[in-house]
Amino acid sequence: MKSLQENPYKELKRFQKDNELCMKCGFCMGACPTYREELMEGSVARGRNALAKALVKGEAKLTPELAEKLDKCTLCKSCTFVCPAHVDIPAVVIATRADEFRKMGLHFPYNIAYRSILPRRVLFGNIVKMAGWAQKLFFPKAEGTLRHLPNFIEGALHNKGRRIPQIAPKFLRQLVPVVNSPPSGTPTKFRVGYMTGCITDYVYPQIGLKVIKFLTRNGVEVIVPREQGCCGAPVYMGAGDFDTGRKMADVNVAAFKNVDYVIADCASCGSAMKDYEKFLADTPERKKDYEEFAKKVIHVTAFLVDVLKLPDSAYKAIPSAKGKTVTWHDPCHLVRHLEVRDQPRHILRAMKDIKFVEMNEADKCCGMAGGFSLHYYDLSSKIADRKGHNILDTKADIVVTGCPGCELQLLDTLARLGSKAQVMNIMELLE
Amino acid sequence: MLDAVVLGTLKEIVGPNNFLTGKDDLLTYSYDGTSMWRHTPDVVVFPHTTEQVSLIVKLANTHKIPITPRGGGTGTSGGSIPIQGGIVLCMTRMNRIISIKKETLTAVVEAGVVLQDFNLALAKEGLFYPPDPQSAQACTIGGTVAENASGPYGVKYGVTKQYILGMEVVLANGDVAKLGGITIKNRMGYELGTLFTGSEGMLGIVTQVNVRLLPLPKSNKTILVVFADNETAGEAVSRIIGSGVIPAKIELVDNWTLNRIEELVHLGLPVSAEALLLIQCDGNPQAVEQEVQQVISVCLATGAKEAKAQTEAEAAVLWQARKASYGANYSASPTVLSEDVTVPRDRIAAMIKKTQDICKKYGFSVHLVGHAGDGNLHPAIATDINDKENFARAQKAVDEIISASLELNGVISGEHGIGLEKRQYIKMAMDPAALKMMKDLKHLLDPNNILNPGKFWED
Repeated sequence: MKSLQENPYKELKRFQKDNELCMKCGFCMGACPTYREELMEGSVARGRNALAKALVKGEAKLTPELAEKLDKCTLCKSCTFVCPAHVDIPAVVIATRADEFRKMGLHFPYNIAYRSILPRRVLFGNIVKMAGWAQKLFFPKAEGTLRHLPNFIEGALHNKGRRIPQIAPKFLRQLVPVVNSPPSGTPTKFRVGYMTGCITDYVYPQIGLKVIKFLTRNGVEVIVPREQGCCGAPVYMGAGDFDTGRKMADVNVAAFKNVDYVIADCASCGSAMKDYEKFLADTPERKKDYEEFAKKVIHVTAFLVDVLKLPDSAYKAIPSAKGKTVTWHDPCHLVRHLEVRDQPRHILRAMKDIKFVEMNEADKCCGMAGGFSLHYYDLSSKIADRKGHNILDTKADIVVTGCPGCELQLLDTLARLGSKAQVMNIMELLE
Repeated sequence: MLDAVVLGTLKEIVGPNNFLTGKDDLLTYSYDGTSMWRHTPDVVVFPHTTEQVSLIVKLANTHKIPITPRGGGTGTSGGSIPIQGGIVLCMTRMNRIISIKKETLTAVVEAGVVLQDFNLALAKEGLFYPPDPQSAQACTIGGTVAENASGPYGVKYGVTKQYILGMEVVLANGDVAKLGGITIKNRMGYELGTLFTGSEGMLGIVTQVNVRLLPLPKSNKTILVVFADNETAGEAVSRIIGSGVIPAKIELVDNWTLNRIEELVHLGLPVSAEALLLIQCDGNPQAVEQEVQQVISVCLATGAKEAKAQTEAEAAVLWQARKASYGANYSASPTVLSEDVTVPRDRIAAMIKKTQDICKKYGFSVHLVGHAGDGNLHPAIATDINDKENFARAQKAVDEIISASLELNGVISGEHGIGLEKRQYIKMAMDPAALKMMKDLKHLLDPNNILNPGKFWED
């Protein structure tokens, strides 16, 4: 408490350089998904940064009203990429959320989900199971629909007509062993740890089965450590709870020792793990550990293309996708946070049995952004509608992406727009 | 603080979702694209119709409340800063494109349409609207009309006023006036539309604009020219124009800016070049090819070290870099005094030399970019308003740069406008009779001085 009084903007001040580098040109307005809908300064990077600056200077107070403007950012990082000075405003936003959290904490019910349940994997699993059971009772079965798990609990509490995920009858971790070796006769080229992420583990285990099958077949030993936990994205990036985030980071760093790479099929998990050092390193030991860890973190598509360097012939579409038109949605956490843009396209172009088409604004945010889509469902849906129409314009049969969070949003959006297009993880498309 | 009854009426006019009085919200309307100016309004309103604008202005006029119109808030002269408080009339939500007509090459748009959105819609029809301020992705059409904005395309395609056929304006008493029309020729009375173009929101609120369009050029090519010094680059510009070819864009980037851009965005630029000209020719492919050859030979004859046509990919990187020059300059120091002097096109080299001498005299490094092709230069002085000695010295340097421009028959602002940033210079820059006429006009159209008060002149 004392440190809070002495230094209320401890985290924000770590990003003071970015905070001050913004010269208010306003170029971010054209790219910011929330500004494009709301058309007001409080909803754009420049405005959010101005408020953060005012906090540090003592010209504004950290009130719930101000906090909401920072909470209403999808962290899509589009602003940074159009900014003439490449200012990292999302980092300023995350750091301010951390100071917000230190001052105000979390309110019910998010506090229970984020602080008590997520860090405890077994308890979390049981709650998800319970929720799966409750879902059968209270919600109509929505085919193929799923939900980002940390938010799932919130969603179940105040669902606004949104499609709720089906919980898998068996979780991924119950379906696969810890060590998955290449078939006999295939030499082992790499040993990787697989960060399954909540959604793949609990809702879409088939993505995980495919990741493991594809990697092992191509000479990669895949370890699925039972000790791994939530990546921490909704906790430290979303809610600004850096203390709990650190616990999660430490758990994952410890869980993924002795592997060449840590693979994620979820862009958000990948980027959250890559950024432990940037946001959570509070001691020299953590800084060193997180830096080392970040070097190993890689999205599965980048691993296939940049590390394994598979020949084009390795990429074949599943039989049901043959002859279909496929388009790609860039998850923000993949294209801008992890800067993986070409690799998934490389894979899709290599698949001779599908027709790959680019959509307009493929790299624009879909409006999911974890808890954002629940706290601000109407705004999130407006952002999603632009994405949905861009998908419809391509007349694609299948839209693939690299983040289960985006998949949820795309499913919800396409259903709302009455489209029959399928949504898949890129790994599911691979034979 | 505004009267509670007035605030209540404003809220009723626009509705609660288009009305801001929260402390944090007001703070975000206290600034624009300038670095020196800030003032908080008492209220921000977002009208959706001309009728609402009319009611708001009428109310403000009755109660003598200052109204500052605002679009994207990207201006670089402080024009949209509510320097006397009062109402910020933010036009961003009046953003319908009403019509685009290919057969007449005209369009009708509401003031809040974002320039880039407009051009994206036009591109689908094979059309374009040339005025291209660097803030195109965020600025509004209304803002570009109020500032008579322009950008790199100015060399060949001119500035906003050349594309305005007519407009709808709300006057200070709340009356709605339709000026001009939608025809290419129109000889009815005074050019009232032109009067409002560049008026910086001081004579009325532009709510709708009728503009002239052009077909998109079929092809374009970019030439990169490297010089051993800025002056020779300036000389080359005059000679290109003199040789009878008009490229679409001629941009100057100096060595300091080039290095700073590279430092920020890592594009692999030729950082050892002392000065660059980035030249784009556009039109029919054959004509473009001829123009490119002519430009290259004129540049080489003027003493360029290198002049080469670029591939499409190379050109994209170079134009991205040019766009980043703004950030490069503005992010380099706490306060940036960015000038906008414009001289006749045969005096560019002379202006560059004077600027360099002045910077040297006052101990500042030279930061020079600009739309050299139309004589418009943006020398930037990096200073800090909190460092009194440095800031005073910077202001002296600016004073001299401005005087130098005037001595060369130039102007103090080519495209940014006067607003707050240049108002201290207007007296020395304008003919007293012209200045008096402006003040008389202002008084005639806005007797209570409610429309964007505090701009243009200091008294």
